[in-house]
Amino acid sequence: MPAALLLAKITVYAAASLTNVFPQIDSTPTYSFGGSNTLAAQIQLGAPADVFASANTALPLQLYQKGLCTQPVVFTRNTLVLIVPKSNPAGIHSVYDLQQPGVKLDVAASGVPVGSYTRQILKNMALSSVLNNVVSNETDVREVLAKVALGEADAGFVYSTDAKTVPGQVTALTMPAWAQPKVQYGICVVKNSSNTTAAQAFVKEVLGKSGQAKLLAAGFLPREKPKTAP
Amino acid sequence: MIRRAVVWGAAIVALAFLALPIVAVFAKLSWSDVPHEVSSSLVTDALVVSAKTTALAQVLVVLFGTPAAYVLASHRFRGRSLVVTLVELPIVLPPAVAGIGLLAAFGRMGLLHTSLPFTQSAVVVAVAFVAGPLYVRQAIAAFEGVDATLVAASRTLGAGPVKTFFRVVLPLARGGLGAGEALAFARGLGEFGATIMFAGSLQGITQTLPLAVYAEFDVDFHTALALGGLLVAVSAVLLVTLKWLASSSTSAFRFALSSST
Repeated sequence: MPAALLLAKITVYAAASLTNVFPQIDSTPTYSFGGSNTLAAQIQLGAPADVFASANTALPLQLYQKGLCTQPVVFTRNTLVLIVPKSNPAGIHSVYDLQQPGVKLDVAASGVPVGSYTRQILKNMALSSVLNNVVSNETDVREVLAKVALGEADAGFVYSTDAKTVPGQVTALTMPAWAQPKVQYGICVVKNSSNTTAAQAFVKEVLGKSGQAKLLAAGFLPREKPKTAP
Repeated sequence: MIRRAVVWGAAIVALAFLALPIVAVFAKLSWSDVPHEVSSSLVTDALVVSAKTTALAQVLVVLFGTPAAYVLASHRFRGRSLVVTLVELPIVLPPAVAGIGLLAAFGRMGLLHTSLPFTQSAVVVAVAFVAGPLYVRQAIAAFEGVDATLVAASRTLGAGPVKTFFRVVLPLARGGLGAGEALAFARGLGEFGATIMFAGSLQGITQTLPLAVYAEFDVDFHTALALGGLLVAVSAVLLVTLKWLASSSTSAFRFALSSST
């Protein structure tokens, strides 16, 4: 296969939480990062994407069922954390402190994968009432991160990998493992890609050894849960 | 002949290009769903938020913008053009930059340490910041268009500056002020970038019509289209009103309108 074909610039539509790690895995593609739901809507309307990497499996699966992309594969996993600004203006030390009236809680909209996970984890902990303290429904996880890092919001739910990108600005409070939703990232090659070969090569790269190592280094979890001893 | 064909061809391309997206909004609408979609709580809440914040922002714009414009129009001082440029700057600023600026100024961690972000007042502030300059700019032109000899005559006949302003200047500039206000109103109604950054997006509190269009885009494209159609209709009514005002008003008004383009 001619090298030029592989080097040809492809366009990768990827979840906002992959903003830092994907260019580390491969700096050649043109990236469009955003809320996975927005990206999926754009692909449905004919956006020129070659690869779609989503923060869930439901959205790429929907595209696959509509014949718009190949069958998605899980390429990594993640966990949710609660973040507060370093200055912690509302004095939040656990998720239960979100119940205090007047706390400015920033979340992603329910259609965004992380927004849906946020509602799941709160439901699992019987804390759905804290959603009354929501001050804004953001369009992707990085908007939540930005508003908490700026100190404008008192707290927000993001992936643990997002919190690691601004270590000096936010404190991440871990959420209990039993309440965590299943956060799996799905990737697929878009059907009307003009460069399927390069798109497939990119997916292979992400699933391959070095791609997985970069994801792990950024704090993502291995794509298959390690088998626990019986 | 050929030259004429080229001109006509270019004109047709330009007109078709400008009209197509607007026509498409209505062409892609499924009209039978519109009543149902437009009556959803998302849409009605967004309408109320937009109406409230836009109205309040425009009151503030007129209340503070009119004196500011009058001062700038009737005084010549060093650095005046710098001040006028600063006033006009938000018009050309990318809305995202306006949002960053508002956070840097009025954010909790901003210069003034206010607790404005995420409140409905923040929407009013964002709208006033991006739309206000359109009014002020137009109002300066309107005040400058007032015949100075009429003002002088009023003063020599014994009317004080305040009386002269309200009895002579304001009636003469009224048309231009109205045009500026209509432009600011339309711009404010469409405000998106600064609002979503500075005020966030929460249904019933800070989610205006344009924010609702964006929120619905990936949830239900048809509702987004219906909302889009609603905004096109409201904007069209505003524009027609503006043109009607222009054609039925004084020449000073037309001067102000044409100087805005």
